[in-house]
Amino acid sequence: MTEPLPPSPPHPSQRSLARLDWFVFLVADVQTGFGPFVAVYLTTQHWTQIEIGLVLTVSGLVSLVGQMPGGALVDAARSERIVAGAAVSLIAASALIYATWPIFPAVLVAATMQAAASCVLGPAIAAISLGLVGYAMIGERFGRNARFAAVGTGLSAAVMGACGYFFTAQSVFFVTAALLIPALFVLRGIAPTEIDPERAHGNPSGQPAGKPRADLRSLLRQRPLQVFGCCILLFHFANAAMLPLMGSVLTTRSSQWATVLIGACIVGPQLVVALFSPWVGRQAQRWGRRPLLLVGFAALPVRGLLFATVTDPYLLVVVQLLDGLTAAVFSVMVPLTIADLTRGTGRFNLTQGVIGTMMGVGASLSPTFAGYMSDAFSSRVAFLGLASIAVLGLATVWLLMPETRPPARSPTLNRQAVMGPLR
Amino acid sequence: MGDRFGIVFLMTVLIAVGAAAQPDSTVSPSVTILETQEAQSILGRDVRSLTDEDMGRIVDILVDGEGGVRAAIIDFGGFLGVGNRKIAVDWKALHFVPAAGKRYSVVLELTRDQVKAAPEYKEGKPTIVLGASGNLEPLP
Repeated sequence: MTEPLPPSPPHPSQRSLARLDWFVFLVADVQTGFGPFVAVYLTTQHWTQIEIGLVLTVSGLVSLVGQMPGGALVDAARSERIVAGAAVSLIAASALIYATWPIFPAVLVAATMQAAASCVLGPAIAAISLGLVGYAMIGERFGRNARFAAVGTGLSAAVMGACGYFFTAQSVFFVTAALLIPALFVLRGIAPTEIDPERAHGNPSGQPAGKPRADLRSLLRQRPLQVFGCCILLFHFANAAMLPLMGSVLTTRSSQWATVLIGACIVGPQLVVALFSPWVGRQAQRWGRRPLLLVGFAALPVRGLLFATVTDPYLLVVVQLLDGLTAAVFSVMVPLTIADLTRGTGRFNLTQGVIGTMMGVGASLSPTFAGYMSDAFSSRVAFLGLASIAVLGLATVWLLMPETRPPARSPTLNRQAVMGPLR
Repeated sequence: MGDRFGIVFLMTVLIAVGAAAQPDSTVSPSVTILETQEAQSILGRDVRSLTDEDMGRIVDILVDGEGGVRAAIIDFGGFLGVGNRKIAVDWKALHFVPAAGKRYSVVLELTRDQVKAAPEYKEGKPTIVLGASGNLEPLP
């Protein structure tokens, strides 16, 4: 199973690449089913708020603590496909448990399973991508991944929202579980021989499997990685609470159209991501990472300021489209920067877990901070507070974050040998 | 050996004390049978307005020291978990209409426009209860 592969440039077939597109799309669909529907569904099953809160807290903690072990697991795996398939199956199984057996211990197990599997699935998709296309094409590939994930999330938010509204919240979980079948089917279509496991872990291709990987501690001591981790923490700290806070402002102002407007606020940015992320991926290779990171980050304080000042509900939806710009940049730049920083270490996925943990910490601080600010002062002050955190993050990128795009080397020798042919 | 004896002795004493503390269990409790149409669980039930607008769901009930139900907490508004808030509405503003089917339909004597501006219910803070006349009455 683990026979050493000859050092070879990446040779992904069109079929494998298209299957990866669809896999990313379906995984985004599967993941959308959780999140908002869990609380609603359990409420309809006569669960109390305390029990629901407990389940959500446990799953939040697991998805925070599981990031690094999840990444390490993907780094250790020889077949990213099997890991991804197992993770999707676990998520579908937990959807089925939610739908058919909503008692406390079962749901607690299902929530834990779903959170843990998600910690593995994210890195696994990035690893399959890197293993397939190699460093030279990875920016564009992450752009495509972001596009298909955005289309999946946007579409399934609309479809499952309608499902939950017209049928029951339970039906959403059945739909989620059923999506496992096409997901596994397209995953099988990605040719395993085209995914170089060493490349998928951030090692040069064709390396013998037993080579010791970079020490975690020396990896974490890398200054650019520390700075990037701080940037990501500040980004999610500033970003995570913005949409929920804006949503509650919107519902207090407009009752007739609130639901539709909030739907637009969720789906609109996904459309922007779907349109722009492949372009972001290409430009990241051409311009470098810093300019794009700066633009994406700069949109965040602007959005916070506008949310604090604009009162018209329809204009708020337009302002929310800025979220799409930011998301398009970050969904590409996060895995890409990590790939840059971990070249040759064999720790690409573990490092994704490290950054994922920072993201989780930022995202969990955000609602607490925003909630406190809007209770103690007003939602306007809360938006300004979030915007100032975003400015702090922007300054961190501006002043401390180095360009991580590897310097262009002698094109004939190195591109061919290390990065594969340019197309 | 001595330890085990000690534990058994302790347990015997505890069981004896426990049994003494129990109320007289020989008297059987009274039994009332409620038809499904007479009383139902309302947690998680959809709430509609008089004009059949979607008013969210009941997620909690507030009861005072006398055992009287004072308010219901409804999870109101929003889409896909964004923009929904928990709002306390006066228990007297809720009506439970025995429907043709198995379940009551729950009707709230307020419109979405009246409820939209209400502040969020937060545990541990004074609750602002939305009454049927549309005015806010603080719950002590």
